[in-house]
Amino acid sequence: MSAGRLAILLALVALVAAAGWALRPEPVSSGQRVARIAAELRCPVCQGLSVQDSPSETAREMRDLVARRVAEGKSDDQIRAEFRRAYGDWIFLAPPLAGPSALVWLFPFLVIMGGGAVAIGRIRRAPVPAAPVPAEPDPRVSELRARVAREEASEG
Amino acid sequence: MRRALRYLAVAAIAGLVLVLLLGFRRDPQDIRTGTVGHPAPAFDLPALDGTGRVALSSYAGKVVIVNFWASWCIPCKQENPTLVDIWERYHTADVVLIGIVYQDSTAAARDYTARLGNRWPSGIDADGRTALAYGVFGIPETFFIGPDGVIAGRHVGPIDTATLAAGIEALRPGATR
Repeated sequence: MSAGRLAILLALVALVAAAGWALRPEPVSSGQRVARIAAELRCPVCQGLSVQDSPSETAREMRDLVARRVAEGKSDDQIRAEFRRAYGDWIFLAPPLAGPSALVWLFPFLVIMGGGAVAIGRIRRAPVPAAPVPAEPDPRVSELRARVAREEASEG
Repeated sequence: MRRALRYLAVAAIAGLVLVLLLGFRRDPQDIRTGTVGHPAPAFDLPALDGTGRVALSSYAGKVVIVNFWASWCIPCKQENPTLVDIWERYHTADVVLIGIVYQDSTAAARDYTARLGNRWPSGIDADGRTALAYGVFGIPETFFIGPDGVIAGRHVGPIDTATLAAGIEALRPGATR
């Protein structure tokens, strides 16, 4: 292998390594995990507020429960499942992409796709506009008319 | 194409009307989501009267009515005569009424039960874990637990005697469900 190729190979390896290092998962503290899960949960006694954002007593109790489960070593999914058991999917501010609630996510895409299909169909069926006609007659036509007139006159 | 679009629009509006009709027919206080149809979460709480513990496991095989309440809760006070009535009628049968004190101080809750003459056991849910396990939205909230230990229904808000008695009768052994 030539020195040039070796340099390119080393540069590629360094690039991949740097990208891997930049994209590595950040270590998440317990507090960050609690905040992240609490932000996903709907406060049962509020109007459209997450458990993380609500100052209510119920939300505080729910945050405490999440913190306790994190401290016990439960995974995020296990903690979410505990709240789902008690409140159903309603407890999540974003409905899960599974079961009937998947329709909430898929419906806008279906509408956009349907609208796109209708738009493409209309564009294809639209009449082609006629080519513009020049207002002035072609000079050759005038010349032809004049010649015909001269010939008729000479023929008598 | 235009006719197909018209049919599609009519079908979409009909579907929306159907969903609304089904939604409006449901009793907003009869919440079916969450714990209904699943085994009732166990609890073992300090008794409000200070005499020991109130544990669900002590009442296995019986119809258990679990009522979440607090002394500061006005609708809880409004429904209290219903609870007294039902307790008087059913406490000699295999029907148990349990109160769970939620987001309240022990002293205020004791004063409340003494003033209103509540004689059924209540447990103190000091950290709200029991309420969260049951999926309580707000108090008062009442859960119907069958002899099989499964939550058969829940009622959000103040309950009336007819609804409470009907729920109990549906769960008592021999009832046709």
